[in-house]
Amino acid sequence: MLNTLIEAFGLITTWEVIIAMMAASVYGLVIGSLPGLSATMATALLVPVTFYLSPIAAIATIVAASSMAIFSGDIPGALLRIPGTPASAAYADEAYAMTRKGEAELALGAGVWFSAVGGIAGTLSLMILAPPLAEIALSFSTFEYFWLALLGLMCATLVARSSPVKAIAGMFIGLLVSCVGIENPGGVPRFTFGFTDLFGGIEPIPALVGVFAVAQVMRAMLTPEPPPIPRRKFGSIMAGQWRLTKKYQWQMTRGNIIGIIIGVLPGAGADMAAWVSYAMSKRFSKEPEKFGTGHVEGLVEAGASNNASIASGWVPSLLFGIPGDTIAAIAIGVLYMKGLNPGPTLFTEKASSMYAIYLMFIIANIMMIPLGIVMIRLASYVLRAPRCSVMPVIMLCCAVGSFAIGNNMFGVVTVATFGVIGYVMEANGYPVAAMVLGIVMGTMVEQAFVTSLIKSDGSILPFFERPISAILASMAIGAMIWPVLVWLWRRLKRESPAPATPAR
Amino acid sequence: MRLPDRVTGLFLVGLGAAAAYGGWLLPPVPGQPVGPNVFPLVIGSGLALCGLAIAFGIGHSFEEEEEIIPIEGGEAKAPPGKLYGLRTLLPPALLLFYVAAADRLGFIITAALIVYGTATALGARWKLSLPLAVLAPIGIHLIFSKLLRVPLPIGLLPMPW
Repeated sequence: MLNTLIEAFGLITTWEVIIAMMAASVYGLVIGSLPGLSATMATALLVPVTFYLSPIAAIATIVAASSMAIFSGDIPGALLRIPGTPASAAYADEAYAMTRKGEAELALGAGVWFSAVGGIAGTLSLMILAPPLAEIALSFSTFEYFWLALLGLMCATLVARSSPVKAIAGMFIGLLVSCVGIENPGGVPRFTFGFTDLFGGIEPIPALVGVFAVAQVMRAMLTPEPPPIPRRKFGSIMAGQWRLTKKYQWQMTRGNIIGIIIGVLPGAGADMAAWVSYAMSKRFSKEPEKFGTGHVEGLVEAGASNNASIASGWVPSLLFGIPGDTIAAIAIGVLYMKGLNPGPTLFTEKASSMYAIYLMFIIANIMMIPLGIVMIRLASYVLRAPRCSVMPVIMLCCAVGSFAIGNNMFGVVTVATFGVIGYVMEANGYPVAAMVLGIVMGTMVEQAFVTSLIKSDGSILPFFERPISAILASMAIGAMIWPVLVWLWRRLKRESPAPATPAR
Repeated sequence: MRLPDRVTGLFLVGLGAAAAYGGWLLPPVPGQPVGPNVFPLVIGSGLALCGLAIAFGIGHSFEEEEEIIPIEGGEAKAPPGKLYGLRTLLPPALLLFYVAAADRLGFIITAALIVYGTATALGARWKLSLPLAVLAPIGIHLIFSKLLRVPLPIGLLPMPW
């Protein structure tokens, strides 16, 4: 193990990795802090750049940019009441209330400090959970993989803040997109409509850039520009953080644990972790009446939670190729591209690369403290950048980045198309994250499904015969039909004479 | 762009049915019980069922209204006209313009037009959008073409590097 660790150190202490990580950190901090540009968008726009880097440097940029962006989303939340990323939305009001009380330093300091602590806790969970799970995963057959992938897709739909039926529909749309091309069990052109560009299928990355970046620029066309941030000078950012750590150690631990659990759950990412943790913090607080008035307790718990989920989201990604959240979905694409194919064997065959990923997470979270402080001090300048100057550059990056993926213009067409699809879906309450997971996991689900059917000679019984397979199957099917059951139950209740109460 | 659930639901029914039919038409693999047709059939059917459920309002009660955080100090805007909503289509239209024009005009000119168009549509005055349209394409060209070796179309305006 020590040898592997030394080897991993060797992998990450090259100039390429160090420079890539520093640059990605600064990039992540800037993009995350600009309202409307999410951490997912930051990561998606980075992918074309990773093409030209070594595997470890490529992963380093994803790790650094995503961790930094999730933290820096707190900055405009605290200063403008506009969360930079959705993961900061849960406590933007609270942080802003603190700023109005003259406690901006404490709120932003708590953001950077507890984010770093949460990120390290998440990394530890990745280190502890992943190897034993990998051993279990080695005994999985295609039947278990199929149900696991389906369960992952269903989790994404269950946690969506919209109608579960719409989320399932979004997932099906994603799976349908993944059907395009000739990479199917028969090797025949499928849904290509005679276009040779579609023979290779629709790449997940341009689709992701489209739904997250182009759709955002499209939305910006109709929404008013946020007000500029007032210039101000900050006092000591880290003062009082140790006192908070001691006072709220239980809240911090709980935030870390919830973040880790939600991160491991496929499909539920940092946004969900922050919302759940903030609600939990308020529910179990000794002073719940202070919440909303500029109270730091919720910030401690939710700030730790969203960063913890980033690292733990890599557990299902690395083990099964099932993304924990949309950022992990992008990371999976990069892993495949760089020959680090996700799966339990990654832990035995490429152990040093695995350790390198752990180390990068820890380094990124340590680096977050000094870089975060600098970013907070520079926030007045960065946040004054008008949206009408940032969005055109994003558009250009979308065009060039998507072209760079395959060196052909079809990538740009894909980005434009998925921009429209993402915009229309979001506007009508269809969660795009579910579609993205469908696109990313479609090939894997089909492969597991068809291989299993071939093995069972077309019979579906063996899908339920193995014990783990049966458990996973019941969970996945339960998740699939529960919205209909709840709907039926509500209808029956409404028809009965008893007074109706909402089920949720 | 908010459409009634009945419309989006019925669209999904149509899409699902088309996918299932398309899958059904695919040739089977000789000697193998399952081929490339099974997955589209399953997905198409699932999508059509979801579409039906959405059209009938199943699951609608789960939807949470989007929380809109009011911007303090923000000024109220005049109600936009009928065609105002079409502005959203500008970004994808500009991307398609890039596809159509980049090879002939070259990267720098096409990119400058895209940046100028987007910035102006977002409310930038020419004092900002013009220098941005000049500098941003050069910066992006430098990063992608010089550092990352992405072959960007030269067209009418080649860069010295």
